[in-house]
Amino acid sequence: MNSPNSPSPLPERAIYGFVLFLASQFGFFLFCLWAYVPAEWLALLGLTYWPQKYWVLAVPVYLLVALVVCVVVLFGVNMMATAPLDSVDNITDPYARRQPRHEGPEGGIPRLEDVPISEVNRKFFL
Amino acid sequence: MDDEKYTDINGKPITLDYQRHSSFCTEFIVSSPKVSIGTVMVATSFVWIFAYAVFCLTDNTAVLSSAIIITLIGMMLYIHFVKIDHESLLVIGSLGIQLSSSYASGREHTSFIEMSKIKDIVINEAIYMHQIIYYLCILLRDPADASAVSSVVPLFPSSKPRLNCLVKVYKTCQEIISKC
Repeated sequence: MNSPNSPSPLPERAIYGFVLFLASQFGFFLFCLWAYVPAEWLALLGLTYWPQKYWVLAVPVYLLVALVVCVVVLFGVNMMATAPLDSVDNITDPYARRQPRHEGPEGGIPRLEDVPISEVNRKFFL
Repeated sequence: MDDEKYTDINGKPITLDYQRHSSFCTEFIVSSPKVSIGTVMVATSFVWIFAYAVFCLTDNTAVLSSAIIITLIGMMLYIHFVKIDHESLLVIGSLGIQLSSSYASGREHTSFIEMSKIKDIVINEAIYMHQIIYYLCILLRDPADASAVSSVVPLFPSSKPRLNCLVKVYKTCQEIISKC
């Protein structure tokens, strides 16, 4: 049975997705209406309190520039989050230190566990 | 000693000099290539041509003299603080390990680690910028817990030799360390 938090598709999720899709298409249509219809015609309808038309150009440009900056910043954040060469996190971590050493069954495959770096080096390089 | 071609992680050639002073003492010296006169000339001409272009635009002679001063001071700082000429590792059994970096201006920085603090010398792989590299490091013992690693000292941090060089150093160091 799927766990209650699984990300698999469900009928409810399909409906939410379609509603969001319709709403975003409609929102874009309203944005285009506001952008292209001259302010006088909108005033004739009695709707006078609008943002300046400057934002029709500014908002898309801001969003695209923010997207490009995010790509660069993401790369930078990844590099900052990488442990430096002199950090103990490259060697071990609290879980590996606390793991119990199990005795494997006779002739069987040993359990999966963290092998200490000294042992790994001896096997590879000596 | 032997002429196997060693390179650093970027492919630039380095040299490894290995002296076995006695059965429990060896020294490894990894030398980086010197600053080439071609690079110096190219960098200087770029800076000066750019400064001359700015002078043509602004007609301010201070730009030219400041470009000369910046070039000189920049080169002095570079060879004194940044450019490493060679790094050496001296292993003395049951005494300790001495690491030394010598800069292009002649300045040397040396540090010594006692054998009792050293848990092991290992070759580890880690992510460095956009690639995964092998590097040799000394694991220091935790004073509170004898089997835990408290800190890591990477060796040859500026020259960053590739695995063939590291394995040579590793084998010799393990011989000495496991004896004492």
